[in-house]
Amino acid sequence: MSTSTSDSTANTTGPALEIARLHFRYGERGFELQLPSLTLARGEEMLLVGRSGCGKSTLLQLIAGLVDPMSGTVKVGGNDIHALKGAARDRFRGRSIGMVFQTFNLLHGFSAMENILVALLMSDVPKAEWTARAEGLLRSLGIERLDARVEEMSVGQQQRVAVARALACSPTLVLADEPTASLDPENAANAVRVLRDACREQGAALLVVSHDPSLEAHFARRERLEAASTATALTGGAA
Amino acid sequence: MSDLTIVLRSLLARRFSTTVVVLLVAISAGLLLAILSLRTAGERAFLRGTGNAHLLVSKDGSPLVSVLNGLFYANPPKAPIAYAELAQIRASFPWAMFVPTAVGDSYRSFPVVATTGEFFSKFEPVLGEPWRFTEGRAFERNFEVVIGSSVARETGLRMGAELVLTHGSGKSREGTAEAEHAHVHEEYKYTVVGILAPTGSPHDRALFTDLESTWILHAHDRFEREGKHKTVTAADLVEDDRVVTGVLLRLPSRDPASAPPALVSQYDKMRRDGSITVAIPSNEVQRLFAIVKSVDVLFLAMAAATLVSSAFAILLSMINSMSERRRQVAILRVLGASRARIFWLVLTESTVVGLVGAALGVAVCAVGLFAATQWLIGAHGIVIAPELDPRSVVLVAMGTTLLAAIAGIVPSVLAYRTPVARNLRPIG
Repeated sequence: MSTSTSDSTANTTGPALEIARLHFRYGERGFELQLPSLTLARGEEMLLVGRSGCGKSTLLQLIAGLVDPMSGTVKVGGNDIHALKGAARDRFRGRSIGMVFQTFNLLHGFSAMENILVALLMSDVPKAEWTARAEGLLRSLGIERLDARVEEMSVGQQQRVAVARALACSPTLVLADEPTASLDPENAANAVRVLRDACREQGAALLVVSHDPSLEAHFARRERLEAASTATALTGGAA
Repeated sequence: MSDLTIVLRSLLARRFSTTVVVLLVAISAGLLLAILSLRTAGERAFLRGTGNAHLLVSKDGSPLVSVLNGLFYANPPKAPIAYAELAQIRASFPWAMFVPTAVGDSYRSFPVVATTGEFFSKFEPVLGEPWRFTEGRAFERNFEVVIGSSVARETGLRMGAELVLTHGSGKSREGTAEAEHAHVHEEYKYTVVGILAPTGSPHDRALFTDLESTWILHAHDRFEREGKHKTVTAADLVEDDRVVTGVLLRLPSRDPASAPPALVSQYDKMRRDGSITVAIPSNEVQRLFAIVKSVDVLFLAMAAATLVSSAFAILLSMINSMSERRRQVAILRVLGASRARIFWLVLTESTVVGLVGAALGVAVCAVGLFAATQWLIGAHGIVIAPELDPRSVVLVAMGTTLLAAIAGIVPSVLAYRTPVARNLRPIG
């Protein structure tokens, strides 16, 4: 089984995220998303808010290359992710994009440490660095029981493990999909702090999508996705 | 951390179904391996029981029946060979071994073989392995008896013990005829003078005494029928009393392990005499196994079908776990695993189940064969050596693993095609 992640097309210049004339639609007459442009500099943080169903999660899937747009480009670190095909795109995603989900999507049956190691297994990080990197990340996020199974951990700890996993491969961009939806306001604020601090420390750009307006206070740059009939468009800075 | 760790974690996450499927595969593989091993071991065991006799002469209906009755003591032969015929056979060739036997009496359902001293000095119960005595010696005088190892173990008879025989093979306690047509020779008591070491042949379940004692016993019956009540001795025997049921023959041979060139011609020559049945014991055992081979193939087919059904069990188990697996696949894809890698991970999972099942099956087979061997030695005196043919082991292990891998193709394709975005959504 090949684990090679070398990719001759990889570009290390350019902004963390650059979207141009993005158009996506589910089926012939389904939900539609249009985004003329969006740029996120390296290390920049941004909050994208919008009501449920306006296409926030779909946008993240488009950025991660999990679904393909009808037209337009999505560049991560200067690389057009949709121009990459098959395994090359998967390798690029594993190396350049970290993802944090509402329900964390950790691998159950695996320990906190193993969840990070799986991410490193899919990357081009040298094997000799795996343990030190995983331990360092988890401890910096306050996880001490590295061998504890994730399903035995508290929600807060699981969230930290998810953040550690997203940052394991030193990505250019971290995408967080409703990372505080299952938390109370106090824990939500803590979770966002942890996420932002960790990304800053790693130099990764952070794009958070959420329908929770309380998060707006934490981000200097805020955008709102508005749904108009079947089309959704970015309307500029949120108040 | 490696891909194999992910595979093992995935299997351990479904401990119960994984264990059940692995056991099912193990039983199927073990069964197939056991049948493959037993088919050759069984033939070897029966060939072992033929000893060093080149020929067996009797008056049974066929050579095969002759061997089953004369060497494996399946039933007492019904037609006797008269003394004159016996002398004729003896004179027909310069035999290296000439051992007449009379089988018909029994002791607690164990067959009693009346024979001559050459039975212990020249006949080998297993080719190349002469008789060994655990205690005592061969019979030397009338009404002395030597007992096989299984008889000693099961009856508790010891050196010097006295016993009486039953005419016929009916099950009886000592001194009491229980079976129909069986009667007990209570007038003549035999003394145990020797206990044989185990041979792993049907002889372990027999008792051995001298021919003259048996003739006296039956002459006594004759006198009783004639209304003459007397103690019969060898002097009272007439030619009609001196009958046997079989003769074990061996031709002179330079190499004890191989048949001499004269065997076939002598066999053909003796067969021309329609009044007797001549058998080459090893040929008859091979013929017997050729007859049962079709049944053997049927068993093999059934075992192979069980193995195929265990592959379906792997398939079903993996399909059933697809709902939980889809989320795992989606997570791995997000982390950078390609579709091909996911395909191989799932295929490896089913292959590991097959491999572990096959390994366990080999162990199950080895233990099962050992247990079966012990049982067969104890119950029937047949030694079936528990030899796992390395080629069969490799073939069954490879076949099982391959089948398991094939069973994993459909789940692997389903995993390959798993839509990532849909399976990352929060549950509920």
